[in-house]
Amino acid sequence: MRAFRKLAALAAIVAGAGACSIDTGAKPPIQAKTKDKITIAMIAKSSTNPVFLASRTGAEAAAKQLSDSLHITVEVVWLTPPQEDGQVQAQRIQQAVNDGADAILISCSDAGKVTGAINDAVDRGVPVMTFDSDAPESKRFAYYGVDDLKTGAQVMAELATLLGGKGKVAILAGNQNAPNLQHRAQGVREEAAKHPGIQIAGVFNHIETPQDAAAEVIRAGNAYPDLSGWAMIGGWALFTQSLLTDLNPARIKVVSVDALPAQLAYVDKGVVPVLLAQPVYQWGFVGVSIIVDKLHFKKDPPQIIPMELIRVTKENLGVWARQLRDWGFTDVPAEYLSR
Amino acid sequence: MRRLLASQETGLVIVLVLVTLALALLAGTHPDRESGLQVNNFWNSHTLIQTATDASFFAIMAIGATLVIISGGIDLSVGSIYALAGVSMALLLRAVGPLPPTSTSLIGLGVCLGVGLLAGIFNGLLIVGLRVHPFIITLGTMWMLRGVAFVASKAESIRVPASLTCVTKASLGLTEGLFPVPMLAMLVIAVLGSLYLKRTVMGRHIFAFGGNLEASRFAGLPLRRIQTGVFAVSGLLAGVAAFLGAGFYGSASSGDAQGYELYVIASAVVGGASLLGGKGSALGATLGALLIVLIRQSIRTLHLDQNYEWIVIGCAIIAAVVVDQWSTRLAARRLSGRAGTDGSAANP
Repeated sequence: MRAFRKLAALAAIVAGAGACSIDTGAKPPIQAKTKDKITIAMIAKSSTNPVFLASRTGAEAAAKQLSDSLHITVEVVWLTPPQEDGQVQAQRIQQAVNDGADAILISCSDAGKVTGAINDAVDRGVPVMTFDSDAPESKRFAYYGVDDLKTGAQVMAELATLLGGKGKVAILAGNQNAPNLQHRAQGVREEAAKHPGIQIAGVFNHIETPQDAAAEVIRAGNAYPDLSGWAMIGGWALFTQSLLTDLNPARIKVVSVDALPAQLAYVDKGVVPVLLAQPVYQWGFVGVSIIVDKLHFKKDPPQIIPMELIRVTKENLGVWARQLRDWGFTDVPAEYLSR
Repeated sequence: MRRLLASQETGLVIVLVLVTLALALLAGTHPDRESGLQVNNFWNSHTLIQTATDASFFAIMAIGATLVIISGGIDLSVGSIYALAGVSMALLLRAVGPLPPTSTSLIGLGVCLGVGLLAGIFNGLLIVGLRVHPFIITLGTMWMLRGVAFVASKAESIRVPASLTCVTKASLGLTEGLFPVPMLAMLVIAVLGSLYLKRTVMGRHIFAFGGNLEASRFAGLPLRRIQTGVFAVSGLLAGVAAFLGAGFYGSASSGDAQGYELYVIASAVVGGASLLGGKGSALGATLGALLIVLIRQSIRTLHLDQNYEWIVIGCAIIAAVVVDQWSTRLAARRLSGRAGTDGSAANP
């Protein structure tokens, strides 16, 4: 009983202290000045997706480089949820603002879910920039990423060339709720419509893990034995090595977005002749650089900063492998680095 | 007073206070954007209300899930009911077009509650009618209801009218940027849930049903009605959470609340509900949800590696349940000891 009283007293003290420290009214703003520390909260879609881990590497490299050159501290705080969840992202935006972040860099899992939180953050004086997947109706100051419609169209155009303009094609499309992937799938369809010999068998959604994606490719392949091509608008299925044996390059042509180390063997062995790489490292690197430009040098960037895809084939495999290594990827197979 | 001290809720309150205190001491500070004064990274009005808001959606669903668990069942479909209710509301409000704010809110609330209630009744009727374990039925409806939401929404994230967001994000006179409505809704529902379970005949019937089915049958309790009723309430509260969630975050999609059923069940169990039935409380479920969200928050507030989040939450859930079981056994041993002493005193 005595112990409980002590705890109750402690709780009362804490509550009382808190009540004193909780601010209930707006105070006059202090004069703006250049800060010697910039904290950027980075919220990607999921911390289990390797492309976002690469973007984190890029963000941290930019932070280090800018800290050294500008003699300020640029810190990247990683607030990415373990799984894709727009609601959790919205909560993390609120948390970043509450924790005193100076800016937020986010790839939106669900634009509708995070738009309100982005607007609240901006209203509370925290600028927000999006990358990879935008929230166009929000008050974010800039978006950096590929044009998703164009990306989908480019995947289909490459595939149509490989197929000689005819054949039945499936679209591997990841999370059905992700707006950027929906746009890419739409881009594939629109481009396919320009090739009368191309028929779309279907859009195949899946949980965005390599195993689920590879399993979906095998399932769809069994269901459509006459399939002649895959338009993969994300690289998930090729992060496993299982499709190296399951896809017959003589019968099925594949073009995929992304070109991470695990995917390079597919190009080398001719299973996937063309990869369209998003320089995912740059999401973080360019994102952090633009935010520091805005906060430190008061420069306003254009609202849309387009990212161009890089075409990776057998011809430039070595160059691309070395680029990945230079960006901090430690799992690039040594055999490609020397080409 | 002794009963109060021995209750599961008191233990949870003590743990919550200790975790809160530790976070307040260890969180560090940052300069406030407006005043320039140092603000504690955890012990500030924005973070406290944000933490309670994050917990409120789980907690409201966990109160419903607790009723089901007390009755000896389980409801795996609450996340899907949340998604379906939110999507139905967003689709309907989009279809009817602009309306006055009050009408928008009332229609939205009505649709969410209606869809949640119907889905819950559907679960209950399937369980009672087909005599299949609730785990199997709600596992099936978990996919079915999310599938209906997916087909209906065409995988689109549907924006809800701004007037609805104004209601769920009303500051109620607090500083700009503080949104206490979901937290207040959680508190009201926790109180109502506690009263329902402790002070009403229906509530006591649920404990009897889950505690001893055979005895309940011989006592002539309306077993089918009780079982359907708990699933109806669980669905209804998932609908309430969906209304608050869709309004607060501004949109609804078929992917909403994916995996939340496990957080909801964990909240109920950490809050003292027994998966064997006959035990649990609405207040405990609320405190359980708060504790889980607080642990999640602490990982970020203390700038620990985010990758350890699942490990920490998993360990915390197991630890909470094990500690609860130990204290229950200890209390039972004390009671039996006291009974033995009383018995020996009465029969020298």
